[in-house]
Amino acid sequence: MIEARGLSARVGSFVLADVTFTVPKGAYGVVIGPAGSGKTTLLETIAGITPQSGGSLSLDGRQASALPPEARGLGLVYQHGYLFPHLSVEANIAYGAVDGDVAREVATRIGAWQLRERAVDSLSGGERQLVALARALAPRPSILLLDEPFSALDPRRRESTRRELRRIHREWGITVLQVTHDFTEAGLLGDVAILLDGGRVLQSGKPEDVFRKPASPYVAEFLGAENVFAGTGRLMVGEPEVDPPVARTAAESPAAGPRSLSHAVEFASGPLTIYAVASSVENPGYAVIRAEEVLLSLEPQSMSSARNHFRGRITEISTLGALTRVTLDVDGTPLVAALTTRSAQELSLAVGVEAYASFKAMAVHLC
Amino acid sequence: MSRSLSSIAAALFGSLLFLFLVAPIAQLVATAGVEGGAKLATDAELRRALGLTAATATAAMVFGVLGGTPIAYLVERWRFPGRAAVAALLDLPLLIPHPVAGIALLLVLGRDSVVGGAALSLGLRIVGSPAGIVAAMLFVSAPLYISGAREAFARVDRRYEAVARTLGDPRWRVFRRVTLPLSGRGLVAAAVVMWARAVSEFGAIVILTYNPKTASVLSYDRFTSFGLREALPVAAILAVLALLPLTALRTLRYERRPGFDIAGTGR
Repeated sequence: MIEARGLSARVGSFVLADVTFTVPKGAYGVVIGPAGSGKTTLLETIAGITPQSGGSLSLDGRQASALPPEARGLGLVYQHGYLFPHLSVEANIAYGAVDGDVAREVATRIGAWQLRERAVDSLSGGERQLVALARALAPRPSILLLDEPFSALDPRRRESTRRELRRIHREWGITVLQVTHDFTEAGLLGDVAILLDGGRVLQSGKPEDVFRKPASPYVAEFLGAENVFAGTGRLMVGEPEVDPPVARTAAESPAAGPRSLSHAVEFASGPLTIYAVASSVENPGYAVIRAEEVLLSLEPQSMSSARNHFRGRITEISTLGALTRVTLDVDGTPLVAALTTRSAQELSLAVGVEAYASFKAMAVHLC
Repeated sequence: MSRSLSSIAAALFGSLLFLFLVAPIAQLVATAGVEGGAKLATDAELRRALGLTAATATAAMVFGVLGGTPIAYLVERWRFPGRAAVAALLDLPLLIPHPVAGIALLLVLGRDSVVGGAALSLGLRIVGSPAGIVAAMLFVSAPLYISGAREAFARVDRRYEAVARTLGDPRWRVFRRVTLPLSGRGLVAAAVVMWARAVSEFGAIVILTYNPKTASVLSYDRFTSFGLREALPVAAILAVLALLPLTALRTLRYERRPGFDIAGTGR
């Protein structure tokens, strides 16, 4: 378990301030944030390499603030590997290993063992990352800190390494904290997502909550939610009250606080009136709708359960592989929908064509 | 046009300085190198002086490496109050005239001083002995080693050490297993520079220990006693002795260093 409470550190003029989050034992945490947000500094502070200037840090229940890095029982993988150039690949893997068999086994699983006879300076960036990962896992740490460990791997290798690491993580019960720029990776790997910017935690929680319910318009924009509308909302008197969505397991339930009932909300943003569901409304506020939640059709969807329906004209279509983003002009306000390229082709969508967008009130996040 | 003029001016001044630095030594070695080599076979005093010079320079280098390595590591890697002042003090011996360094050492190590007196009571005479030569050499050349060692440590990315510590090594073991091997080449280079500087030292040695004579003192002695002709072979041999290891080392380093092509045409 990694538990940071008000964790602070200073590196030159950069300050990591008041960082608070918890990655439960055996969970996989991901740290996301723009370049220079303090992601690496956070890992180095947890590792004990950057001195902690304030707050508390607990690793697997032990107060770790005063422990030297070698006593923290963790492994660290930097983006560039930092393989020891004066040692062979095999010696790198075995550097901190207590049991040679474990080192060999984990290196084989990661795909680094086959590189053991190569010279370190002959390895590619991706191969260095594999060896660095094997080296960090070889001592069987209880906590693994990863700084963009897959960034230099080709997509196929990245996928297989990510899968294998996930398996090792589950089998060994390691607590992992991984820095990534890749939001897909954050969603795929993470049990806990921590969004960092300017040395501060903007939001942390389950990845789906962070992505679907961004705490601020900045977070929404950073995470790529294209539809962020400023406006004012009001609780709709007389509308039936709605229970919050049921958590999937007891562990995921927000048991700490009392269950608060949600209400239907009417949110006005310029020409748009958006229907949402929320337990309270802050004004002025923002309505955030992820593009993936917006449905497009060429006919009005009068017989659908969606509460929000808009007519507009397509102003832009951008296709990136299997995904197409369509921008609809709704009375001068752009609304972005994401759909598969195949769907876009089947609908014969084109710029200038009139189309209908719809999304459920539950897909609207107010912040 | 102005760009080509400035290139010509830079090349001219650069070439002149290069010639100024190299020509006297090249002339010395060319004029008296062969004669100096021949004298090695016949001149017992020259052989003794060279042997003494090499031995005392080596002893000074060993002391310099043993004491200078931890100092350089400490100043380079640790942040403590007064670090800049300590670094400046370590450079001080490089800045004062070497006879002045000799006089200062005489004050500290002379037989009337606390250290010199204590050493004498233990049977170790510093002034007027090889120990005095080692002390003078150490004083003037150790700062060069410390400076080179600091640079060597600075070139080792701290993240190698960070990774090693997360792999279970305490600080001292990281130094042995990672920092030292990665900075090794730089440390050896710094030690060779120190040795060469120690070999060529004269000003401080002549104050502390005129006899037995090192090669530099011998060349001065022959110059003042017998004139230029007698001093030249000794001076030529001394120049070769000081320059040979340093030149060999520098050549090796430059050959290993990857070059770059200004025109961008690749290599």
